[in-house]
Amino acid sequence: MYGVHLSGLPPSGKLFCTLFLIGIGCGALAAFAQAATAIGLTPSDVQASLAPEMPMTHMGHGPSSAEKEISIGDISNTARVWMRTPLLIQTSHTHLFGQTLIAGLLGLIFLFTSLREGVKALIVALPFVGTLVDIGGMWLTRFVWPPLSALVIVGGTLFAVGYALITLISLWQLWLAKEAHP
Amino acid sequence: MTCAVRCCAVILATLMLAGVAAAHVTPPVLLVSDRDALAGQLAGAQRFFVREVRLTPGERQAIQKQTGWSPDEDFYRFYIGRDAQGRTVAATIFLTEYTVHGPVRVAVSLGPDGTVKGATVVELTEETYPWVKPLLDPQARYLTANLGKSGLDAMGQFYGQIIGSLIKRASLLYDVGVIKRGDAA
Repeated sequence: MYGVHLSGLPPSGKLFCTLFLIGIGCGALAAFAQAATAIGLTPSDVQASLAPEMPMTHMGHGPSSAEKEISIGDISNTARVWMRTPLLIQTSHTHLFGQTLIAGLLGLIFLFTSLREGVKALIVALPFVGTLVDIGGMWLTRFVWPPLSALVIVGGTLFAVGYALITLISLWQLWLAKEAHP
Repeated sequence: MTCAVRCCAVILATLMLAGVAAAHVTPPVLLVSDRDALAGQLAGAQRFFVREVRLTPGERQAIQKQTGWSPDEDFYRFYIGRDAQGRTVAATIFLTEYTVHGPVRVAVSLGPDGTVKGATVVELTEETYPWVKPLLDPQARYLTANLGKSGLDAMGQFYGQIIGSLIKRASLLYDVGVIKRGDAA
């Protein structure tokens, strides 16, 4: 882009881009581990954390109360995050800012790779689209239809695939590609 | 070269913004599972029940008038422990307050007459944990005797008040939704 290519950056520029990409990768791994332990990585785990809480008893609509005998074993023995609307708002605002900025920085580096415009546009869009599908999926799970929790997994996967492609191609062009540009 | 330097400057500036955004992400700290909290708070019970209560508009208004807090959940769930004869040993409810630093979730245990028997913080966030930690070890003693007088810093006192208000809400909900309806037996 504008005659600047990753392979033509000075060593300091190459080092900066490399360390940034590695740092984001480490952060992504930590985020993955946190999601796995706090929420879970399957659509049903996401649904359990996000979907509206349903009565355990046969309580009807309107003011009422109902009671049902349970076994203590029916209660979850795993500590799980209950994501209710105020926490969803908080999570959305932090993750939309944070992930979009990360996607923007990744994209900024990736714009200086020597790829065809169509391919570059497709790959650079992945982390942005992934973020929107991920956070959008949380809201749809809570307020529209709980099985849409699959979108949260799809969004996270799109972000991860985008990051992986951007990092691998950028690192290859930073350190291994020769300075021949299309 | 000048262009590359400019690009690096833009990247650095954006990186700082990302740092600011990332600083607001506060992962949850889960201290105890619901089952473990219930097993502790309903100790002595031989049978366990779930009682779900949907408040009437009048009941919601009465609570709002008394405390300034508007109950906004669709329904509230009490876990009730009973002995072999069916007498209530204790009831537990999980309540959450969403603060700007993240949620604080507390399990509150109540006796059959609505007396608060104990409280356990089950979930908070990495940001709030250091403030709440001094309350956790001597938790029961603190909540019954030293609320606001323990030399905590301002944030510790603030979260002590949050936890205290969740305990009051639990007591009020049990009173309005169970005892006054004649369902406490």
